[in-house]
Amino acid sequence: MNDKTDDIIAAHRADIHSPPPATVQRWHDALDAAAAAEATRDVPRPRVLQPSSFFLGMAMAAALALGIAIGFFVADEDPVTELPLVAESPRPANAVPGALSRGLQVHFRDSRAQIMSLPEAQDRTMLVLRIIEQNRMFENAATSNDAPKLARVLRAFEPILLQLAADDLAPADAEALQAQLAFELNVMLTKLGAESSDDTQPHDLGNTT
Amino acid sequence: MNRITRLALGTVLLLLATGSLAQTAAGNDADSLRMAALEALITAPPERALPIVDKVLAGNHSAELKERALFILSQIESPESQARLLAFASDSQGELRTEAIRMIGIGGDETALASLGDIYRSGDAGVRDAVLEAYLIAGDADAVFDIATSTQDEEAFSNAVGMLGAMGAHTQLRELRNRAGLSDSLIEAYAISGDADSLRELAMNDSNPAMQLKAIEALGIVGGADVSQLLVDLYRRTTNDDVRDSALQGMLIAGHDAGVLELYRNAKDAAEKRRLLEYLVIMDSDAVWDLIDTALEGAQ
Repeated sequence: MNDKTDDIIAAHRADIHSPPPATVQRWHDALDAAAAAEATRDVPRPRVLQPSSFFLGMAMAAALALGIAIGFFVADEDPVTELPLVAESPRPANAVPGALSRGLQVHFRDSRAQIMSLPEAQDRTMLVLRIIEQNRMFENAATSNDAPKLARVLRAFEPILLQLAADDLAPADAEALQAQLAFELNVMLTKLGAESSDDTQPHDLGNTT
Repeated sequence: MNRITRLALGTVLLLLATGSLAQTAAGNDADSLRMAALEALITAPPERALPIVDKVLAGNHSAELKERALFILSQIESPESQARLLAFASDSQGELRTEAIRMIGIGGDETALASLGDIYRSGDAGVRDAVLEAYLIAGDADAVFDIATSTQDEEAFSNAVGMLGAMGAHTQLRELRNRAGLSDSLIEAYAISGDADSLRELAMNDSNPAMQLKAIEALGIVGGADVSQLLVDLYRRTTNDDVRDSALQGMLIAGHDAGVLELYRNAKDAAEKRRLLEYLVIMDSDAVWDLIDTALEGAQ
């Protein structure tokens, strides 16, 4: 039995199912490639929320967040000896991982679209609660990836979202909260987009305390 | 500076600094254009963005536009931007003030956050809530702990403890028990923060019956396999009806119908069986129809 098999058995005994870092790196690279391919396509987004696109967005965001989470959880483990299949690109210190940045852009874009086309009362409550759930997931990812500034912004959305989730909210108040969230989400999208498209600078989006 | 940034800055300067558009365009259109211009400022270097944000904040603009400008200020990483936020948090009124406090939380600047303590002490209820929220955003549990330990006001204490619960601040909440003693709000905060260990300890301690019962029910909020089993064990081991009621309430809150079903099957007393069956009906347990069928057959 070789060392690698021993490692796998040991991992199962310890109930650790995390993949080796090189594999995770390949997943990240695959995500990078997929995102780059997606960015080259200029497909106009529908203005009205479609349920299928909502769930697709949720699924994509969840997949990206999963990638981020895996990256975080395997970071502290002992490296497993394996020949690298791809050249690993070193990330500058204090830089936000590309997967997190892209995942957040999806989250911000979807949240904005959903918030701008919220239904009335009870349906609105359910939808906003889902946005809060997504938001918390990304807040955890930002914290795990040492991006406290992004984590703070995400945390700041939650009290407003909770107000918006109230089913007894007056229409004018709901409109004001929607406008505020849309603006703040837009600003963060612009910021993330500008910084991630600037290849000459490290992506220091959220690490400054 | 790249071309897009220069273009954005030019647009912003045109729209915000001169205000000429406001005189010619309809009010709503002008406002939405100003919002878009403000949004574009996020791509500008701090030294260029800051003077423009200053003009917006000092100008005769709507409160809404100024609040948006405060958000831009929170995203500008410079001591000057934090100083301006602090000035607004200290000197302005109403929503503009509470929004500035929120932005200090987002900014996360330690000096500005520390200054919120004074603003909390001199502020009204709205300002105090805003300060607690800012500390939540900044993840500054120690600052909330300081408020909880220094206040003499019961409601302020309860609000601070609740915020610590929302922040999952186990350490600070446990320390509060040593300093301020046990209270309803503290037990609720243990539940909200998911501190099953503290609640388990209180649930096993019958020296303060009221707090013990509250802790048992609060365990249901935490939930999970271990907690659910603990609630079943507490029910089984005690002869105290109040403890049994609280354990059942805890199982109801946790949705642990399997535990109630187990208790039902082991119960010998008809009155107890009836009570447990009532809980299973309330919990909409899948097993309840079989039980009712069996109970009816047994009664025939």
